[in-house]
Amino acid sequence: MRNARLGRPGSWLFWAATLTLVTVALVSVRDDLDQAHVTLIYMLVVLGGSASGGRVLGLTLACACFLLIDYFLQTPYDLLSVDKPLDWLVLVAFLVTATVATQLLGRANAEAEAARRRAEEIDRLAALGAETLSAGRAEDALAAIAKVIRETTGAAECQVFVGGTAMAEGTERAGDRDEAGHDAAAAQADPAIGETVAWVAEHRRAATERLDGTPVHTSAELGASAALDAALAPARALLLPLVAHGRSVGVLRLADRGGLRLDPARRRFLDALSYYAALGIERVELAAEAEHAEALREADRLKDALLASVSHDLRTPLTTIKALAHDLAAGGDDRAAVIEEQADRLNHMVADLLDLSRLNAGGVPVHTDVNAAEDLVGAAIQQVAGALGGRELRTSLALQEPMPVGRFDFVHSLRILVNLIENALKYSPAAAPIDIWMRGEGEMIAIAVADRGGGVPPAERERIFEAFYRPAGGVSPDGARAGGAGLGLAIARRLALAQGGTLTYEDRHGGGSVFTLRLPAARLSAEEAPLAVTS
Amino acid sequence: MNLQGQREGTGLIVDDEPQIRRVVRHALEGELGRIIEAATGSEGIDLAAAEKPILMVLDLGLPDMPGIEVCREVRKWSTAAIVVLSARQSDTEKAMLLDAGADDYVTKPFSTLEFTARVRANLRRAQVARRPSEHRVAIGELVMDLAARTVRRGEQPIHLTPIEWELLRTFVTQAGRTLTHRQLFNAVWGRPFGDPQQNLRVHVANLRRKIERDPLRPEVILTEPGVGYRLEMPG
Repeated sequence: MRNARLGRPGSWLFWAATLTLVTVALVSVRDDLDQAHVTLIYMLVVLGGSASGGRVLGLTLACACFLLIDYFLQTPYDLLSVDKPLDWLVLVAFLVTATVATQLLGRANAEAEAARRRAEEIDRLAALGAETLSAGRAEDALAAIAKVIRETTGAAECQVFVGGTAMAEGTERAGDRDEAGHDAAAAQADPAIGETVAWVAEHRRAATERLDGTPVHTSAELGASAALDAALAPARALLLPLVAHGRSVGVLRLADRGGLRLDPARRRFLDALSYYAALGIERVELAAEAEHAEALREADRLKDALLASVSHDLRTPLTTIKALAHDLAAGGDDRAAVIEEQADRLNHMVADLLDLSRLNAGGVPVHTDVNAAEDLVGAAIQQVAGALGGRELRTSLALQEPMPVGRFDFVHSLRILVNLIENALKYSPAAAPIDIWMRGEGEMIAIAVADRGGGVPPAERERIFEAFYRPAGGVSPDGARAGGAGLGLAIARRLALAQGGTLTYEDRHGGGSVFTLRLPAARLSAEEAPLAVTS
Repeated sequence: MNLQGQREGTGLIVDDEPQIRRVVRHALEGELGRIIEAATGSEGIDLAAAEKPILMVLDLGLPDMPGIEVCREVRKWSTAAIVVLSARQSDTEKAMLLDAGADDYVTKPFSTLEFTARVRANLRRAQVARRPSEHRVAIGELVMDLAARTVRRGEQPIHLTPIEWELLRTFVTQAGRTLTHRQLFNAVWGRPFGDPQQNLRVHVANLRRKIERDPLRPEVILTEPGVGYRLEMPG
């Protein structure tokens, strides 16, 4: 290892000196020496030289030794001639052996060098892996990866582009940030580079930039391929697609204004490194997504907590007010009944506002089930029974026809229907009955609530379904109770849409309104469908 | 009230709001002999174990633990009627409560009248449940013979499918109590999940067509929207 560290000229000098010393020493005792001793000693010199200085030095030493042995150590001395044929054999054998040994040593050295480089690459990969995993922020990890790639490939700058913007940069001179920053800014400002980056990301093919900046699109998918060799010959930048899990996540740009030099081994290594960069980008994206999801969850949780708390906190005092007013009313105070009624109204308005805000936020869960329309209508009648005040609700049930069965959310649909019936009660004369029909309509089932009120003017037929709509001329016969928040129909229509249904208005033949709720019909198999009643 | 018209038994109110406790106590005073109060869930559980109330009125918004946990815990060892006070209108939550062992729920704001009626029904049912079951049950003008598996309206026999019979039998044996869709399905089909659960409501609608005078204004089987059904014993 010590010899290996000697510089090339140093080892040549060293071995020339050694050879001279050895020759001088041997010449002084040449009469006592055997041919075998001489060749062995010179062989050691050749091997030493070739091990430390490489193949060329080894071969040069071999030739020099050949001449020196011939000249100084074989009779006749001091002449380049040999008198015994056997001595020729010794000389030639020496030369061949030295050459072969030098060659073998050279090859072993080259392999050792390759192994050392590979070990270095593995070290870098390990370092990169550690950087990727241990950097606190995903962005830091990506910057570290860019830096390692730049150092490994020897390029002046290395940029990682995500969605057209440089996300991480490794630049050559940490102390010379101005120039590096200028380079990076220039690269980002150059629209040609932006286009090339976009092309690479879209086609998942590598590209290069010539020294004058002309982009060259290649068919190479990775950094190491024959298709890239030609394009790289004189190039100032190499752009590689970054693909993680089959998805193009970004572009890696290696650049050196003086010309990029990458041997095939480096480029193979670059492939492995660029995969790390792709994983780094993926990690950045995942981190951002996780952060976003966390924020959403937090907002959702806050919203739910707020809604629950508002609804709980408002209802608790309302309960007390209502209960106390009820007790007072039982004692014969009419005013207490008004308090109780107003408490109920307040409760409805709070519920409506909460529902509307939930519907707007898309936060109303829909639980659809197979339900019978008559169950729904029955529940609605049950719910409005207290508010009827002697008004007539006319219904008809065709027992002979198949039962209209739908797939809908019972609670939401009940809310809609109750709202329609309450509106009908509010906006039609007390003497006129309210009719409720239901029927199957193929893919849908329809439930209609019809009154004999004033109807809705054509200009307002859609506006009545808007939030906070108040009828301009719509005076209810029972003025005191008509004052809602104008949310009922808006909520009703949104609830209908949320379960795949519709809520529409039509004029009633002979005067009045018909509101029709249509909900998806359910198909029951003959076995599932209960038979029609025949008793 | 027991059969002699005397008030007896202990009622437990678990609510963190003193005003609500006052209102509830006031409503219960005519129904029970003694009323005790707890302000937290754990205190409520302790009192339920120590005092063995026959009625527990439980608020869901307790400061220390979810009301449903209190319900589940108490139901493990107590037969007290549990009536839940809920400020939320989520029906899935109500169904969960009933599945967890609550007998009934009242949504805030409630009227004292409604609340007292529900409490009375639950207390009465708790007493009925202790009596040996009868073969013949009269529901208004319907007469059901559990042993002979027949239903008549007056002299007119009513033909029920096996599923409808099982439904009606389940309702009758737990009259007055809200049964969740899941509880009904378990009782009738004998397994907790499956496609027919979807059609439970259609079977109920069909049963109504057979036993109700007006299926759109049912008097026997009432719908508890989003939760289940309840059989009302007239009288």
